[in-house]
Amino acid sequence: MSDVPAAVTVAPSVRGRSLAADAFRRFFKHPTGLVGLFIVGFFVVISLLAPVLKPYDAARDRDLRARLAPPSAERWFGADELGRDQFTRVWHGGRISLRVGLLAVAFAAVTGTVLGLASGYVGGWLDTFIVWLMDIVLAFPGVLLAIVIVATLGPNLTNALIAIAVTQVPLYTRIVRSVVLSVRETEFVQAAKALGSNSLGVVFKHVLPNSLSPLIVQLTLSIGTAILDVAALGFLGLGAQPPQPEWGLMIRDGFTQFLRAPWMSIFPGIAIFLSVVGFNLLGDAIRDVLDPRLRDA
Amino acid sequence: MKKLVTALLALVFLGLASAQTLVMGVSGYPSSLDSVDSQDGNSLVVSAQITERLVDFVPGGTDLVPSLATEWSANEDATVWNFKLREGVTFHDGTPFNAEAVKFNVDRWNDPSHPYSGRDQGKTFVPWGWVFGGPLGEGNLIAEVTVVDEYEVQFTLTQPAPFLPALWAAVYFQFDSPAAVMEHGVAYGTPAVGSVGTGPFKFVEWIEGERLVLERNDDYWNGPANVEQLVFRGITEPTARLAELQAGTVDIAVLLSVDDLASVEADPNLQVAIPETELNVGYIALHQGNEPLDNPLVRQAIAHAIDRDAIIEAFYGGLGVTAQGFVPSTMFGQPDPWPYTYDPERARELLAEAGFPDGFSTEFWYMPVSRPYYPAPQPIAETIASYLADVGIEVELMTEDWTTYLADYQTGKFPMYMLGWNADYADPDNFLLTFFGPSAVTDLGWDDPETRDLLQQARQVADQDVRAGLYAQVGNNVAEAVAMIPFAHNRTLNAMRSNISGWVPSPLGYSSVSLHSVTKAE
Amino acid sequence: MTAYLLRRLLGLVPVLVGVTLLIFFLTRVIPGDPATAMLGQRAAPNLVQRLRTDLGLDRPLFLNLPKARETGVWTDVLDSQYFSYMSGLLRLDLGRSIYTLIPIAESLRHRFAATFELTLAAMVFAVAVGLPAGVLAATRRGTFADTAIMLLALSGVSFPVFWLAIIMIYVFSVTLGWLPPSGRLSIGMSVDQVTGMYVLDSLLRGRLDVAIDAARHLVMPALALGTIPLAIVVRMTRSAMLDVLGQDYVRTARSKGLSERRVVRVHALRNALLPVVTVIGLSFGSLLSGALLTETVFSWPGIGRWVYDAIAARDYPVIQGGVLFVAVMFAVVNLLVDMTYALIDPRIQYS
Repeated sequence: MSDVPAAVTVAPSVRGRSLAADAFRRFFKHPTGLVGLFIVGFFVVISLLAPVLKPYDAARDRDLRARLAPPSAERWFGADELGRDQFTRVWHGGRISLRVGLLAVAFAAVTGTVLGLASGYVGGWLDTFIVWLMDIVLAFPGVLLAIVIVATLGPNLTNALIAIAVTQVPLYTRIVRSVVLSVRETEFVQAAKALGSNSLGVVFKHVLPNSLSPLIVQLTLSIGTAILDVAALGFLGLGAQPPQPEWGLMIRDGFTQFLRAPWMSIFPGIAIFLSVVGFNLLGDAIRDVLDPRLRDA
Repeated sequence: MKKLVTALLALVFLGLASAQTLVMGVSGYPSSLDSVDSQDGNSLVVSAQITERLVDFVPGGTDLVPSLATEWSANEDATVWNFKLREGVTFHDGTPFNAEAVKFNVDRWNDPSHPYSGRDQGKTFVPWGWVFGGPLGEGNLIAEVTVVDEYEVQFTLTQPAPFLPALWAAVYFQFDSPAAVMEHGVAYGTPAVGSVGTGPFKFVEWIEGERLVLERNDDYWNGPANVEQLVFRGITEPTARLAELQAGTVDIAVLLSVDDLASVEADPNLQVAIPETELNVGYIALHQGNEPLDNPLVRQAIAHAIDRDAIIEAFYGGLGVTAQGFVPSTMFGQPDPWPYTYDPERARELLAEAGFPDGFSTEFWYMPVSRPYYPAPQPIAETIASYLADVGIEVELMTEDWTTYLADYQTGKFPMYMLGWNADYADPDNFLLTFFGPSAVTDLGWDDPETRDLLQQARQVADQDVRAGLYAQVGNNVAEAVAMIPFAHNRTLNAMRSNISGWVPSPLGYSSVSLHSVTKAE
Repeated sequence: MTAYLLRRLLGLVPVLVGVTLLIFFLTRVIPGDPATAMLGQRAAPNLVQRLRTDLGLDRPLFLNLPKARETGVWTDVLDSQYFSYMSGLLRLDLGRSIYTLIPIAESLRHRFAATFELTLAAMVFAVAVGLPAGVLAATRRGTFADTAIMLLALSGVSFPVFWLAIIMIYVFSVTLGWLPPSGRLSIGMSVDQVTGMYVLDSLLRGRLDVAIDAARHLVMPALALGTIPLAIVVRMTRSAMLDVLGQDYVRTARSKGLSERRVVRVHALRNALLPVVTVIGLSFGSLLSGALLTETVFSWPGIGRWVYDAIAARDYPVIQGGVLFVAVMFAVVNLLVDMTYALIDPRIQYS
């Protein structure tokens, strides 16, 4: 599986402050990146404001007389099977999707980085073992592995988060491992070793900074994937549990009612779509800015 | 464009209709056509057209009528039964149906060492254990099958069973051709082989996940069926089944969503087919092995907190009724009406009295699949949870795979859970013994020897009035202890095209309905 | 080349053994087993015990130490669920489904054809639309067309597949009535199965009407499934084309006075294909994931839906066989991708 070269460039020195400033400058000239930043910012802000502007207690929400009420001036997105206002639920759903998406990716990145460092630096049987493990994980189509993991652990949001993270770990392990391997061979690391410098110190000083930009690119692009995966598991009934207003779960509820109440599935779907578009635009822009090899492409 | 496509479609369908093909839209494909090795409606609805039972139910009811057996009688204590068999019946492969064939079938199910039991290859005969206790030496009810003569068999039992004919009428126990079973072994009942019986339809082909086709048996002992061909299609979502029915690609669609009742009634091309009554009950169980559900005041508070009438009005589309006990309201043995009406004030008082003025939190497990008694378990559970929240009881809604769910509710893992029951046979015993017999200790954490005694007594008595009194007493004991909360009895919504007639929905569910007398007008 | 192929195939063995180990382990630690699943609501202990014995579930999972200790024969250690399964596998016997007793191999043949037809159609759609769109975006870099295509491509990877499928059914089946909402063929239509791919089979038999019917059933699932790979192909084609168009030999070709069309078609596209093929191959995995969700919404009788249902029912042989098969298929596709490199770019050496 090592046929696909990771986009890695090794710089002999740690990037300076001017480079970061340069990246920022370039980012703010990137029109679609700014649109992405705006969308993501919008979702983050309304999610943070939701409990202040529109407090919501899913456990008590019920209005059986408004059951399956269509969209109206009073209920912009209509009502669901319990007569709950879909607008409020879609709004609050953003909190769940964003949080789980971010946490899953963070979890995957940390685990993947540790495994990648261990694999590349220690080498030997540990390297073989970790590469083998990652190849096994990659041999599964992602959703299928996530389903098996959730079935094992029990369906809830935390376990869905873990399952999604596990399917993403190999991405980070590979990036970090390939950076470690290439850095290890460079003269300055060999020299540092020869001078008796602490080997872990070498890793942190040289490997992490060099992996940072591919990692950041991968992180941003993975958040969109993670949000979609959370929704997919929710749709299969393996993610968030009712009455949580999770978008995938809301589409699942809407699917059984889509002849009568299409609004139940339409609006949460649009919310997923918009938020994922936001992260993807942002990720593309960050890649353009950080990855010099792809910058002009 | 739309018109053109519709016209083309109409052409295609007209071409088909002339062949007198009846298409049934069901929720999935069979697991097996070897009926005693299957247990789900999707299997039994198909196999029941091919293979038949000794005893059947009257169409649309629960009274027993002869089928492959013509008459039956028992000795005084109902431990030895003689069944006379219908003469001149042959299986589709030409094998004669006689006492030897009955013995072959029953021994195959009952005796694990029978040469054709196939248990070592994965046959399990699960429903046999459910209804007849288990195979030989493992809780079996049937001790021996004896061939009396060509058309008479005798069943010797290990204990009295006054309702044995009702057990034989349970939809699972359909008789297969011994020659076919011997020839095909473990493959009998799979798509490659299908099954061979005496019924009104013969197996033609089964394309996994796509369609299953049967054709008319012109030599059927009760006269040939009206339609020439049957096609079964598994369509998982009720909404999708309705869409296909409306499009005319399906003639009869079972288990539709009750929310669609109005649109089916409004459609001039469709007619509803709802049984007059259906033998099922949905309930909320409270497991006393969990605090504070061990406190009877808390259980009463929960019962008072839930507005069952409002929920049933919202989610059962007018087909369901609020349950007053655990035996369907059309059956004998009814207890006093359920004493705990919706009264959130009273619920709060009871909680305070029990020492929980601010309520408490616990888990409430809901079913991951819908069943007639809980047509939409998740939103119903969410609604129940919101009522409980109103009086201060915070429940976390939980679920897991149906498989695990059915194993776990018996362990006390679920403090509160939803479950229910569809009758196998029309007797309160099938409900009350299942819920409140020996298993109540594990399923509910409720250990009440008096109730168990009443249930055992009722099994042995033949007098219907005495039994009714005993079952009413059981129901009242349960209500007093609030061992469980009865929720609803429901009826399923099925629908068919308006040119279909002769399909009579059964109180025992759609899988018991014979398609022998269904007609399809041009 | 042959040596390389052999080495790659050998390299697959430890990964696939790992897959069997992992799936065996995961399915067995899932709470609940087929015995309790089958007995359902009335699982009396005696019946559970009988069923576990009947199904061979009472033996240890990996190593049967108790039996070896008892008999003193060390090979009895291998009388376990895992080694029984693996020895069957070596004889190419995948076993039977616990519930239906249908041989796994028989189901696989049928289900794989269905999934393959779906993924193939999705891929054809993705490439047929994505490649020209990507080339167009690259050659018109910076124009409105470029921006529009890239925005659409970005939207493509941002849709939840299952949601797109539901919306399609609502629009094209329910509202407009143009396309059938589910299934593979209308009732009354039938195909003599050759490959199991209905459009192809009916064309082989010269049944145009059946082919059209099958294609009508295929359109929506394939479009829903194809959006993500479509978007990926567009993006990859564009960036690979831009890469190539900046290379010296393309400039040389241009300076020789070749028409722009010829430059793009002959010189640039051929060289840009390499990364595109890689991405197509790699999308296959995500396609199989997506197929599970698409199959769920459209009741398409493929592998994804089959394995998913089997997980819920704890049908171990089906889960094991299905997942292993998918993993093998995935590995084979990766291998094919590498082989294709050689065809497109003979410079690559297999040492």
